[in-house]
Amino acid sequence: MSTISTNPTPKPGTPVETVLVVEDEILIRHVIADYLRECGYRVFEAVNADEAVAMIETPEISIDIVFSDVQMPGSMDGFALARWIRANKKGIQVILTSGVERSADIAATLCEAGPLLEKPYEPQGVIERIRQLTANAGAGQMQARSDKT
Amino acid sequence: MNASKVTVFPRREPPVILVVEDDVITRSLVSDELRSGGFKVLEAASTDDAVAVLDTMRVDLLFIAIRLPGAHNGLDLARLVRARAIPAKLILATGMEDEALGLPKDEDLGPFLRKPYQVSQVVELVSHSLNWSEPADK
Repeated sequence: MSTISTNPTPKPGTPVETVLVVEDEILIRHVIADYLRECGYRVFEAVNADEAVAMIETPEISIDIVFSDVQMPGSMDGFALARWIRANKKGIQVILTSGVERSADIAATLCEAGPLLEKPYEPQGVIERIRQLTANAGAGQMQARSDKT
Repeated sequence: MNASKVTVFPRREPPVILVVEDDVITRSLVSDELRSGGFKVLEAASTDDAVAVLDTMRVDLLFIAIRLPGAHNGLDLARLVRARAIPAKLILATGMEDEALGLPKDEDLGPFLRKPYQVSQVVELVSHSLNWSEPADK
């Protein structure tokens, strides 16, 4: 099996982040993954948290952002996946989405981006959340650099 | 100019490929490479997911792993596509020998790709099956 192709050189102004979409409903996953690709993101897909962990732990793949549903079949739900990422892969940002309202409070404690994105969401809302996350991450890095000087 | 002699070529839409494979790394590798080749790719981890896609949208080619979890394997899915007369090409991937598959000699489901395969082989086979080359302006 050959290795995963390296990221092509992005055009100026296009996003450089790689997003992992974790969603068990194939048609929902396809719509949001396709939209993110149209917006210039490199996107991988996983049908549950176990697959997501396998992808994240693959050395050839570098994931920047995980966009995950909360309710999923398998050994972990979206919350457990977010906790695993927080414990094991601190560089990866997580955005959770759910149709269950009471999930919002739990998500707020797990995601740097704030409360979870409620379903049904607009794809543009996902893009805005990703931009917000990456902007915050960039600001955090600049703050860390200025603290060192 | 005589308008009746003007030939209008339809916009060339990329073919839609449905990759059906339960191993996420293999599925991602194959799908990512196919997208790099200009195809529109959907990913399914099971036959149920694949059928949900087939019920919803047009697919030009299915790349199916024969060994899949659940009640139905990849051969069942390929036979379903043929039984429904869905106008899609099929490519099947397997690590099994012909005898182990137990296929009748007169059953033509499509070309088989033996595992382990190179991802580039998948792209070549798909491109050849669909007579597709990536647009030069892409």
